[in-house]
Amino acid sequence: MSGIHLFVPMLHRRDAVGEHTRALRDRLVADGIECRVYIDMPDPDTVEETLPYRDYESDARLGDVLVYQMATRSDMAAWLAARPEPVVVNYHSITPAEYFVPWNNWIARHQVAAAQDLAGLAPTAALGIGVSAFDAEELRLAGCPEVAVIPVANVRLPPPPPDPGALAALERQPGGPTWLSVGRLAPNKGHEDTIAALFVARATSAPDARLTIVGSPTEPNYSRALHRYVAELGLAGAVTFVSRLSDAELSARYAAADVLVMLSRHEGFGVPLLEAMSHDVPVVAYAAGAIPDIVADAGVLLDDRAPRRVADEIAALLADDGRRGALVEAGHARPAALGLDRAASDLVAALRGVAERVGRGPVGASVVAAPGAPLRP
Amino acid sequence: MAAEHGSNGAGGPDGPDPRAGLAPDERALLEAFDRLRPQGTLRWNFDDAVRRLTEPPDVPGRSSPWTGLPADLWERGRSTKASERVLGDVVTVVSQDLTEYTDRAVEESRGLIDLSVDELRRATLDAVRFLSARVDRLEAAADPFGIEAGELELPVPDTLDWSGQVAAWASTRGDLPAVVGELSADGLVASVAGAGVAVDAVDPRGEVVWAKVSSLPGGAGAGSAAVTVTMAEVVDHLRGLATDSRGSVILSGCVDRAGLAGKVELVDEAIRVVAPGGTVVLLVSDQAAWDAGLDPVVRDLLPGRPLHPEAWRLVLSHRGVPGSEWHHAPSGAVHAVHAVVAEVGR
Repeated sequence: MSGIHLFVPMLHRRDAVGEHTRALRDRLVADGIECRVYIDMPDPDTVEETLPYRDYESDARLGDVLVYQMATRSDMAAWLAARPEPVVVNYHSITPAEYFVPWNNWIARHQVAAAQDLAGLAPTAALGIGVSAFDAEELRLAGCPEVAVIPVANVRLPPPPPDPGALAALERQPGGPTWLSVGRLAPNKGHEDTIAALFVARATSAPDARLTIVGSPTEPNYSRALHRYVAELGLAGAVTFVSRLSDAELSARYAAADVLVMLSRHEGFGVPLLEAMSHDVPVVAYAAGAIPDIVADAGVLLDDRAPRRVADEIAALLADDGRRGALVEAGHARPAALGLDRAASDLVAALRGVAERVGRGPVGASVVAAPGAPLRP
Repeated sequence: MAAEHGSNGAGGPDGPDPRAGLAPDERALLEAFDRLRPQGTLRWNFDDAVRRLTEPPDVPGRSSPWTGLPADLWERGRSTKASERVLGDVVTVVSQDLTEYTDRAVEESRGLIDLSVDELRRATLDAVRFLSARVDRLEAAADPFGIEAGELELPVPDTLDWSGQVAAWASTRGDLPAVVGELSADGLVASVAGAGVAVDAVDPRGEVVWAKVSSLPGGAGAGSAAVTVTMAEVVDHLRGLATDSRGSVILSGCVDRAGLAGKVELVDEAIRVVAPGGTVVLLVSDQAAWDAGLDPVVRDLLPGRPLHPEAWRLVLSHRGVPGSEWHHAPSGAVHAVHAVVAEVGR
């Protein structure tokens, strides 16, 4: 029986691409479609859910559609480009190498190679699916002949309830407004700008303001620099770095926050924006990448990241209950406007469409074709 | 691009200098972060890497694709009035020469490959031998006598003072079992179990484990949680436990006598297995009391001695758990270092 199989360099838990892949797999299987997840490098946490991608050689069936979850570099890309089956590129954005140049050469090179992977694979893809209009445009520029926009399938709505213990502990903490920033400690996330803005805010409008940065330290040099920056600015008691939170603990962080600040310079989607909206936390964000599309009218969008400007905007927002309430209200409509509630079913429909378009009939059916018949459309 | 990197602080492709309109104090604030970037030749390395990735080198000696017979070959053949036989002889001679040259080239290539492989093999073996000798020397330097701590007569730390307090600390994540290792003769295990926390007790000494197992039915009162006892080195036992699977780890004895590397490994494993919100408790012997209570020979030959609680706090902070506290020993013999593994920066 043919199927729709997912290829991802590594399948991580608590990771945007990993959870999206797992959610899509679960939906395909629930719809009666054969689906396996093939990986390049195993993650011990998920190794029992995955197969080495080279194993697909012996698993291949006529009529299969292969879906590549692309966000990083992998030998898989060139291998998929040479496969006879139709390949769909589900694109989650590749952070440009330039952001990593001052911090980590290895990652920078890796990102250059990832962009080359995309350039090699996109022109032959049966379909490109960007998780945002921003990502879809990158697919088009890379040469993808047909492109669709379908958001990620793993945003939990409504969000899980906050961990009561964690929330109680956070609410007991003294101090002024709590800023929250959620995102890996990677240079494109611009956490230093948020820290600089906090420094200005504490010197001007909000002496007790605090910042919590939730994110795993992806790039060690950058992470160390952030910690040192906080120490040098005398903010050690005002900035907290946390990572590896459970969903309920993360919900507690949102529930205890007064504002989500996202000053990313490159963002392919921005799940934290929607998480904040679902927790009634207003959003102040720099209008980069996909952020304007995700936020629309449900947050404060900034055209620069100057510390004083960011601090002033946050102070003005927190002082204006009416405006804050209006933004929170507008945020409730964003998931539906973005199609998050139907993302998984839209993805399955798009992938079924590819299978039918290439003449193999509905996926899931046993298909017989003449020997030597071309599999590509 | 270089000008952008120098000015925008993030090395990102933001277009024109995004700091151009900033006030001097804002610019200084952001430049303070720029100075924390790694220094060196990263920019050059990156450009070089990009060049190598985007401009693959031409392979020297690569053969050109065959473009077919020369268009005027037949005309040239006719113009010399060469018969088919003569032409055949020429082709035969040329092909023999070609074969000879090819065979020679292959032979020479094989010789070169053998030469370079031999060289590589020799270099690899030399490297392995060197590393092996280095490991031997390091091992010899770290432990010249190879004495196991178990061979030496050591006092068992008296942790009785801490039974009640440790049980309270362990109860903060009482939904998960507590690891207690090693086991003293006092009521630490019973106290933790009595607080309703399941105890995973571990000790390398067979007689201690046996005594603890024997005492279990009567030792744990009604309402006490389950106690399992394992005979193992504590660090080995911790290595076998899943990440975030324990509510607390309470260590004594092993943390005193292990060398510094062993101490750090114990702490790393303890932090790994404790779930967020849980605690690591180190019951550490007072240095003066330890020195006074040991036979001088044993004291001198042991790989490690107790760290001062302040030193333990530094070790814990260095291993990702800042903010630990230490409490002075009520009886002067055993201090307690208490760390909460909160939301983990591990």
